[in-house]
Amino acid sequence: MFVESMINITVKLSIDLRCYRPSLKINESMSIAVPDDTTLLELLTNILQIPAHAVAIPIVNGEKCKLEQSLKKDDQVAFWPPMGGG
Amino acid sequence: MFYGYTGTILRVNLTNGKISKEALDKKMAEDFVGGRGLASRLLCEEIDPQIEALSPENPLIFGTGPLTGTGAPATARYVVVCKAPLTGTIACSNSGGFFGPEIKFAGYDALIIEGESPEPVYLWIKDERVEIRPARVLWGKFPSETESSLQKLTHPSAKIACIGPGGEKLSLMSGIVNDNYRIAARSGVGALMGKKKLKAIAVRGTGGINLADTEEFWKASMDMHAKITGDPVSFGSFRAYGTTSLVNLINEMGAYPTRNFKSDTFEGAANTSGEAIAEEILERNRACFACPISCTRVTEVKKGPYKGRGEGPEYESTWALGALCGVSNLEAVAKANYLCGDYGIDTISTGATIACAMELFESGALTEKEIGFPLNFGDEAAMVRAVEMIGEREGFGDILADGSYRLAERYGHPELFMGAKKLEMSAYSPRVFQGMALQYATSNRGACHVRGNTVAAELYGVPRYMPPEVLEQKEEMVRRPFQNSTAFVDSSGICLFTKFAITHREICALLTPATGIDFNFDRSIVQGDRIWNLERMFNLRAGFTAADDKLPARVSEPSPDGPRAGSRAILQNHLQTYYQLRGWDTEGRPTPSKLEELGLEDWWNVCREHD
Repeated sequence: MFVESMINITVKLSIDLRCYRPSLKINESMSIAVPDDTTLLELLTNILQIPAHAVAIPIVNGEKCKLEQSLKKDDQVAFWPPMGGG
Repeated sequence: MFYGYTGTILRVNLTNGKISKEALDKKMAEDFVGGRGLASRLLCEEIDPQIEALSPENPLIFGTGPLTGTGAPATARYVVVCKAPLTGTIACSNSGGFFGPEIKFAGYDALIIEGESPEPVYLWIKDERVEIRPARVLWGKFPSETESSLQKLTHPSAKIACIGPGGEKLSLMSGIVNDNYRIAARSGVGALMGKKKLKAIAVRGTGGINLADTEEFWKASMDMHAKITGDPVSFGSFRAYGTTSLVNLINEMGAYPTRNFKSDTFEGAANTSGEAIAEEILERNRACFACPISCTRVTEVKKGPYKGRGEGPEYESTWALGALCGVSNLEAVAKANYLCGDYGIDTISTGATIACAMELFESGALTEKEIGFPLNFGDEAAMVRAVEMIGEREGFGDILADGSYRLAERYGHPELFMGAKKLEMSAYSPRVFQGMALQYATSNRGACHVRGNTVAAELYGVPRYMPPEVLEQKEEMVRRPFQNSTAFVDSSGICLFTKFAITHREICALLTPATGIDFNFDRSIVQGDRIWNLERMFNLRAGFTAADDKLPARVSEPSPDGPRAGSRAILQNHLQTYYQLRGWDTEGRPTPSKLEELGLEDWWNVCREHD
């Protein structure tokens, strides 16, 4: 039998995206096990069920990434809506 | 006949009480737009940049842009220009609210306040009628009390700009507060107003602004309104959470300077983030004149030792009084921010100076006896106490009130000053954002984020994404789409925060029908360049050289921890490329041909004096 290998990652949702997981505290990470090689886009749309257009700035381990990027074990993912200001 | 502009400059001499009105030079307006550009040009005509900043010879110029007060979106801005008391550079502090438009409604493009009054006074401008009145009873009052008293003394709808006790006591970190809570904060412009013994300016204007082509103007205005309200940044995160929406994001990137820039990640960031403000202390939004964004937060700490009410804290204030001092208690940060508003002092410089004092204290260079209490990183009560002492110039606050550059020098550790040209850096680590590193080092008013906020490109992707660590082409990015562009926007009278939704093209589409002068994209680029070079020439004449285009050694060392551990500001090789792109020589001086290209050739003699 084929067993898909799973990896653990953490995810944070901020600003308006918090409405998709209202039980999370501010800046709180959730741990999720996802299949190896899952892309950020698959994580968003298939697993978290957040529309991709709501996310403008995906950050993985402190770096802004493209949604096509695949996840690795222990990645720290944070999703942000369109942002600006300062 | 002027359109967009009023065509009149008001000159008030506080030494001899003389009040006069002058016609605006139309060619000067075309070349320098208005606001920052025009007021800087006027300053260069008024003084030799080598004068002492805190002297009667240094005028305080309030400038508006041709769009200020027109009613197009976010046209609330005015500027305060002078030789800066804190830095000795040219100063241009900028504020929104309702005061700027009121100056236009009263019939003026700019106010030039010169001389020095022997006694506290305020200026009462009711359209064409202008009076200098005694202000003894207002001296010592906070801006909110000053505003309500002045509205009783003048007109219930008068708009007020004033100094708090910080400006009265000549704190070099003091600003000018308008509409209770807005502040033209940086560079110490409040100290010059205090030196002139000018407590406040009250303005009531009942006139309108003539537009050259009303129909075309409102068409462009509605188009801009649609672009701003349709923009997911301007009308999304920015409207919902204000500037503090950035706290968690910049910290997540490991670019949130912490404990006097010792590190770039703050463990307490979430407690002082925009989300926390929204959940814990936010009362409602507030908008400046004609602004659909309404990014201002009206907040209240309802009980406890940090009880208070006001506006903000904004992103930079939250950071300077929070992470930079290692403080993660939101109520304490909010209280310190309210106190800065009451005393009329700059939150960035105040927080940065306290952070510098904390490091001096922890390293043993400053003692408990000198300060009066222990001042450790993370001690929120001590931080709030220090803000009060700065505002009052009480005890050790007398030394802190002159900013972190002078503090660090005085205690033998100039390397602990975290800024450039005596102005403290802002909340984007130059170790991570290479564009910001170059911008902080070369900014004409000293290290500052709003002379060219390259984070827009290096993170949000506006106008296009350039990763923060990439060095290539950053010099051109800093120069043109940020520094020059910002100089143009600041001169138009529109708020810089519209720039996520619009470009120069939309601003020009308003300026042309407003003024009847042909403003277009290509000219706006030259106008921005001209203004930047004029400011640079002022600074060169004031004695600054290429050696001042530098950053603290600390940020050239690797960031010690966080997701960007190891990153550092890389400046050296970029300066020469940047100078070259600007048309400057290797010493950072505009060349004769550059000055000729910009119509600034008269300034060549000034440049040559430094040979």
